[in-house]
Amino acid sequence: MYRYDEFDATFVSERVDQFRDQVARRVKGDLTEEQFRPLRLMNGLYLQLHAYMLRVAVPYGTLNSKQMHKLAYIADKFDRGYGHFTTRQNIQYNWPKLPDVPDILEHLAEVEMHAIQTSGNCIRNVTADQWSGVAADEVEDPRPYAELMRQWSSLHPEFSFLPRKFKIAVTGDKADRAAIAYHDIGLRLKKNAAGEVGFEIFVGGGMGRTPMIAARVRDWLPKSELLGYLEAVMRVYNLNGRRDNKYKARIKILVHELGAEEFTRQVEEEYARLDAPQGLPSDQELERIAAYFAPPAYEDLAENDAVHTQHLVDNKDFAEWVERNVAPHKITGYAIVNISLKPVGGVPGDATSGQMHAIADMAEKMSLDEIRVTHEQNLVLPNVRKHDLFAVWQELKEHKLADANLGLATDIISCPGLDYCGLATARSIPISQDISIRLGDIKRQRDIGDLKIKISGCINACGHHHAGHIGILGLEKRGVEYYQITLGGSGDETASIGQIIGPGFSSETVTDAVETIVDTYMDLRKSGETFLEAYRRVGAEPFKEAVYATH
Amino acid sequence: MAKKISGPRILTANLLGDGLVVFLGKDGSWAPSLESAWLAHSNDDLEQLEALGGEAARSNTIVDPYLVEVEDTGSTLLPVEMRERMRARGPSVNLEFNSKSNGHALVADQAVAG
Ligand code: HEM
Ligand code: SF4
Repeated sequence: MYRYDEFDATFVSERVDQFRDQVARRVKGDLTEEQFRPLRLMNGLYLQLHAYMLRVAVPYGTLNSKQMHKLAYIADKFDRGYGHFTTRQNIQYNWPKLPDVPDILEHLAEVEMHAIQTSGNCIRNVTADQWSGVAADEVEDPRPYAELMRQWSSLHPEFSFLPRKFKIAVTGDKADRAAIAYHDIGLRLKKNAAGEVGFEIFVGGGMGRTPMIAARVRDWLPKSELLGYLEAVMRVYNLNGRRDNKYKARIKILVHELGAEEFTRQVEEEYARLDAPQGLPSDQELERIAAYFAPPAYEDLAENDAVHTQHLVDNKDFAEWVERNVAPHKITGYAIVNISLKPVGGVPGDATSGQMHAIADMAEKMSLDEIRVTHEQNLVLPNVRKHDLFAVWQELKEHKLADANLGLATDIISCPGLDYCGLATARSIPISQDISIRLGDIKRQRDIGDLKIKISGCINACGHHHAGHIGILGLEKRGVEYYQITLGGSGDETASIGQIIGPGFSSETVTDAVETIVDTYMDLRKSGETFLEAYRRVGAEPFKEAVYATH
Repeated sequence: MAKKISGPRILTANLLGDGLVVFLGKDGSWAPSLESAWLAHSNDDLEQLEALGGEAARSNTIVDPYLVEVEDTGSTLLPVEMRERMRARGPSVNLEFNSKSNGHALVADQAVAG
């Protein structure tokens, strides 16, 4: 994992001191709220519906056990004993007090964490496939490049005042677990015909009120040219991006208005002109960064472990959990454990301090000290020996973390919505809980199979509803919440935008509508066909008929 | 300057220090509950509330004061907007952590607001 060098450590600790001073001046009254607001936002501190909210970055979703223990400690000491993991691979605390925030940031700095670049019109925390470095089919670990981009964007004054916020996601695998097509820039490591590894580059994806799938602007770019090429993309955006209208300021609008072809032409032209891009890292620097992501000390293990195999035979619950939540690892004898933060009826993405401590302990003992945060609001123990899977499962069960529902109907993404968020038009968490309880029977869930339900509490789409197989958007009309349903969205390598099926539903009827949609799928599916495949075959009509016939 | 009044209003804000939601009470203090909030019925009242809010913001007690339209049901004050009802009551989830959360019969309330 990446370790701060001296420069990073100094930078972060100076930022903490600076913010401590700013908070003191605010409390004394030397700074007005208008003066203070941009300063606190630069440090990840928002004022939400009920209280302050602190957003802490988890760069490319990678944590060690010491960091997770620290997150738990902060939840206990400065908050109300829990935290919320988000679709941006961050963690949010819902109740910090202003005078405590400098102390929180100092605690974070002790474990090389911070809340910088979690807000504002800058290049935000780069997100990555949660299985980076361990996925069985991966071409290469993309995180060194995510870190490279973090350093590049942190230091680039030109990119701190963009027309709008800017989000980058990376993956090193053909299967897209990072929703790269829904980001301003999406990067995928892949091999060209000669077998060399480079980047496939997508630009102009996004959620929000104008959802768009990113256009591919480069099929393959040599790895060493990444920053130069990105600089060309950013320049075209900075020159042409619409600063006059907040809703049109994202790069997706520019790509859309120019057309993918013309946008690509301008980028390539800019790139050809850029003979010596600023701040390109030396090969040495690249190697230095890559060394931090060097694989941990794996043991030489056999493919199969007799003890594990026996547990699979003896314990059906364990076997079902392994089937859903455990994925193949690139190192023989190891497995990737996915921890669901979606207990039936729970709050998606929430973890208590006790759970965080427990996960940190497990990571230390049984995952070579690593933990990952996923954009689907779950956690991962990426390096578990097959031999230890049963012990991990038992421990997870003890902490109510062993739900075997990864990728199933109750593995719902939900933004905080009107329960916490100041921008929300409706609540989203209670709807996710209601649906989760309705579809919660594990036999039924397994029968339904892969299904992604995603809920946002307003059009900003933090809950990725556009990318939900079933997407739900909470809106409000004259003081009453209502919910719009979209079908057919996907955030994977076959990305698509969900389509609205018709008039919205009340908070009391939206769960019925979702259940009707699921039942309709069960009736019309062909053998082995997932919800998304069935939808793509038959279209929205049968679902609309079923849903609106009963209303 | 206060807008022309259509229904009774109360003044709300967040405390500067802990960020929590508060309402200006009849006695001029800021309290987490709207039960004892100062209810403005006239434009003069409104102007007075806004002046007090501005003063409290300048003296760094609270941030972002604003008026909220409420319905006076006789027994309780009910904000007209869904968002303001949520602010008054606290989250309707995570109840084990959030002590302020209570009385979350929001669906039933909607009939009143509708
Ligand atoms: C609670 C405080 C939050 C606020 C005030 C907030 C605000 C916003 C706003 C204004 C946008 C739209 C940006 C645009 O279209 O330019 C947005 C987008 C987004 N937010 Fe949040 N958000 C919050 C929480 C979250 C949480 C908890 C998550 C993860 C669960 C999240 C993840 C995202 C994502 C993925 C997008 C979509 C990016 C895109 O438009 O491409 N946000 N947020
Ligand atoms: S989608 Fe809307 S309600 Fe949900 S977190 Fe984002 S801004 Fe808040």
